[in-house]
Amino acid sequence: MIGFAALAVLAGVLVGLSRQINGRLALSTSAMESSFWNHLIGLIFITLAAMAFGGLFAGEPVASPWWAYLGGPVGVIFIAAGSWLIARIGAAQTAMLIIAGQMISGVVLDIILGAPGSPVARGIGVALILAGMWVTRPGRNRT
Amino acid sequence: MNDTPDAPRLYHFAAAFGAGGLLSLMVLFNGTLAAYGSLFFASWVPHLTGSVAALALLIWLRPRRAAAARPPLWTYLGGVSGALTVMLTSATMNTALALSGTIALGLAGQVLFSLFADIRGLFGLPQKMPGPRDYLSLALITAGSLIIIFFGGAS
Repeated sequence: MIGFAALAVLAGVLVGLSRQINGRLALSTSAMESSFWNHLIGLIFITLAAMAFGGLFAGEPVASPWWAYLGGPVGVIFIAAGSWLIARIGAAQTAMLIIAGQMISGVVLDIILGAPGSPVARGIGVALILAGMWVTRPGRNRT
Repeated sequence: MNDTPDAPRLYHFAAAFGAGGLLSLMVLFNGTLAAYGSLFFASWVPHLTGSVAALALLIWLRPRRAAAARPPLWTYLGGVSGALTVMLTSATMNTALALSGTIALGLAGQVLFSLFADIRGLFGLPQKMPGPRDYLSLALITAGSLIIIFFGGAS
């Protein structure tokens, strides 16, 4: 259990590590080129891993709805945005604002899709996140 | 004092928040793929279509290279770290941690690493010391996220 918890924390560290390295590549090239290499090298790595472990086409992937295939192009913009932001506002600020956006849009998506959940907890969570964003809002005076 | 390089402007703010919204869509799209196919497939497809989309955008927009000198080779390896993330989360999601525990612990790892990365200026990015307001903001956003993850719903 502790081992799996450590792996879950490591997964988060790898997200930050990936953004840091992609951000450095974007400093020498461009945010879009950094996003391209992120996807191509990731593709090669996953292909090799899938060949080693097998089961890439297991299940019924053809049966999934067409819109489920749109994650790639969305990810290109996401990685490019992260690479562009991290060199400008820092790793922590980038991570916190992306998490804030993910959580609040996730709540909105859950409500649209009718996912069950506590409205009170969602309300308190969103309020705390908005308060956190307010604290570092742009245009305030730094003292 | 708002023109210091570490003070985010409104468009930075909007871009990062919007990127978080894109991440929610990616989780929905890729998660749906995983419901029909294998976890490898759910990560392989977006990397394949993403590579093609990024190449098309590069050819179309032809962004200028920021520096003439070639970047060090290790800077091209960010994608390996990203692909490993998918495999790790797929593994821990199916343990007692479940999806909420996986997301919460991943969030903790990401926040702590990003703070450390800023303080040390890791991997050649600018160094940045977080101030009291940054820590307060971080605590509020983390607390709100944890409440949504553990009490806000089934997802």
